[in-house]
Amino acid sequence: MDYLLEVQGIHTFIGQYHILQGVDVCVPRKSITAILGRNGAGKTTTLKSILGLTPPTQGRVIFDGREIHGMRSFDIASLGIGFVPENRAIFRDLSVEENLKIAERRKGDYARKQEMIFTLFPDLNRLIALSGNNLSGGQQQMLAIARALVADNRLLLIDEPSEGLAPVLIESLMEAIRKLSAEATIVLVEQNFLVASQLAEFYIIIEEGRSVIDGKMSDLVNDHDAIHRYLGAA
Amino acid sequence: MKVYFRKNLLFWVTMVVLIFFFILSARGMPTNEWVITLLRGLSVGSVTFLVASGFSLIFGLLDVLNLAHGTLFMIGAYIGWTVYVRPDTFVDLIPLVAFLFSSFLLSGLWIELGKRLPMNRWTRILPWVGILLAAGLLLLVLPRFPVTGWDLQVYSQTPGTYAFMADQGLLVLPAAKSFESSPVLVLGGILMASMLGAFGISLFKRSKVLTAGRLNWRQFAVFIIVLGVGLIIFVANDALTNFLTGINTTWLFLIAILVATLSGVGLGALMESTLIRPLYSRPIYQLMLTLGLSAVGIEVVRAIWGRTEFIMPKPALFSGTGEGCPATSLGAWLQHQCSTFLLFDGRVRVYNEIFIPLVGVLVLVAVWILLKRSRLGMIIRAGVQDRGMVEALGINVRRVFSLVFALGVGLAALGGVLAAPSMGLSNVMGESLFLNALIALAIGGLTSYPGAALGSLLVGLIQQVIIKYGAIGIPIPFTDIIFKPTPPLVPASTVLLMVIVLLILPNGLLGKKE
Repeated sequence: MDYLLEVQGIHTFIGQYHILQGVDVCVPRKSITAILGRNGAGKTTTLKSILGLTPPTQGRVIFDGREIHGMRSFDIASLGIGFVPENRAIFRDLSVEENLKIAERRKGDYARKQEMIFTLFPDLNRLIALSGNNLSGGQQQMLAIARALVADNRLLLIDEPSEGLAPVLIESLMEAIRKLSAEATIVLVEQNFLVASQLAEFYIIIEEGRSVIDGKMSDLVNDHDAIHRYLGAA
Repeated sequence: MKVYFRKNLLFWVTMVVLIFFFILSARGMPTNEWVITLLRGLSVGSVTFLVASGFSLIFGLLDVLNLAHGTLFMIGAYIGWTVYVRPDTFVDLIPLVAFLFSSFLLSGLWIELGKRLPMNRWTRILPWVGILLAAGLLLLVLPRFPVTGWDLQVYSQTPGTYAFMADQGLLVLPAAKSFESSPVLVLGGILMASMLGAFGISLFKRSKVLTAGRLNWRQFAVFIIVLGVGLIIFVANDALTNFLTGINTTWLFLIAILVATLSGVGLGALMESTLIRPLYSRPIYQLMLTLGLSAVGIEVVRAIWGRTEFIMPKPALFSGTGEGCPATSLGAWLQHQCSTFLLFDGRVRVYNEIFIPLVGVLVLVAVWILLKRSRLGMIIRAGVQDRGMVEALGINVRRVFSLVFALGVGLAALGGVLAAPSMGLSNVMGESLFLNALIALAIGGLTSYPGAALGSLLVGLIQQVIIKYGAIGIPIPFTDIIFKPTPPLVPASTVLLMVIVLLILPNGLLGKKE
């Protein structure tokens, strides 16, 4: 199979803690892959290790046929990886427009993508002059995803998009992510199994820093035993 | 609007109280005196602001407490003085500096060369060999490169004497020294040492370089330009010296400001890339390093310029005293270029009390526009909050770090050269000002740019008001006692203001709540 991203047996330390102890992730092109697991299993660290924000000490990360482990974060991101972190990390001192403009990698990226972004998130258009610290949680999440779309990214790493959002918002967010998957490959970390199962085509489950099982989402949905064992009651 | 005021109620109440106190203190003086006090406060505040803003930019983005900032302020003043009073020394030094640092611009070439070398036991000591050879060569060559300077041992040739003579308009520059050995050999030796040193230093990082080193043509072009400028100035040394001594001192002063600021920028870039960068993850080491650097800087200044204090003469535009002075209107001032200006029947010193605040406001606005309107400013504001996320967007934050550090040090050096004609030059000028700047930042909010401006203004004003009342005295109500604040109360008052502000607003006036 043709993979856009391959993570092979990475180990990552945060301080003295051995967080990842061998994680493998394979992400096919133009698909949505969900990384599942309990709290503290190492899902977020996996995303950060791919980006080099918490550099892995062992193992390989291959993006589009190129080894990227050991490279600096900004070099990795420049290859075409967009990141939507768990806490959204909206820049509070910047306006919504500046939050989008800062993500430009080439001059004029924002002008080019403006239309696509605002058809996807119509709400953002009327917030454009607002400062980042005046946004609600849902608006922040939309902005964080929109920011990852400004540059030409082939891979989007989205961490917990549904966290802390009202059900109505989750619905429209899922719609947006589904539309996005036509253009970019998406890796999703999601606690909410319902959301993940409706969005993702493939899944990987991480438990205590190790990837334990992966496959097609349609198989997992019917495998109540695995769901119960790895994700708790769901 | 209403929400804004409710959120910032304490800030506005504090500001109203402070303004009330200043009006109250101004009522105790005649108009001309409080105007002068206000202008002096603005002047001290402007210089403080130049140091404080650079410090807070660096601290906000890099999390580095640059304790050497006061020393860098002082070094800026001394460099500016050298350009202004001794242009011949300055011209002599340009080729030397150009040749010494030119090879460090070729980092791409050195990395590429380093990768061609095999990794074994012998090539591992190569970096040290390179650096030692460079140092040895420099020891041999540098004494043979003549720089017409001053002599700290001979009274008639000390910097203080030259400054005094320049102030009286009697400055005679000493005869230029000439080469005793072949200039080609000396310059070649310096270039060789520079190359060896740059190569040696780049070899240290060899094992860490993962990405392919690129032979960069732009680097070559810059290298050639720097060498060329060095050579041209070397050949045209006398002509340039004559030109600099011949022009109006106002222009020379502008050149001095420019050179001092750029030296600050260069010094900052050098300091960040060599010393600070390896220590980003170790804050305690940074503190020790910058504290040590500050002490080293002071000693270097003492070794070069001596321990005695001396003055920097004011440029021609601000030093006229003859007929038509003090000026009463802008036109008259421009015509006679007076050192003083009559404002509400009080004499205001144009340089100290008008020019310095003007430059302060200019820099405030310029940096504000840079922060608010440019992409670099956007990245800085974002980086202050979350560096990791900025990097995750594909932005090379490290390069922005270097730029901001250089900019911050440049601002301090600009402050130094601006303050020199009004404060004079001394080995300790940096320390007291740095303390002022820190207090100003604590008052205004550590990482807030407008906070740095507001805090500096308040510190400058309160100092000048206390100094003024030291002369007038404050009548204590219901008694016959007239209280005259003593000089030690001047710094104490700023600390008191800081304590009060911090008790009310723990993050400073404009600081962000964490």
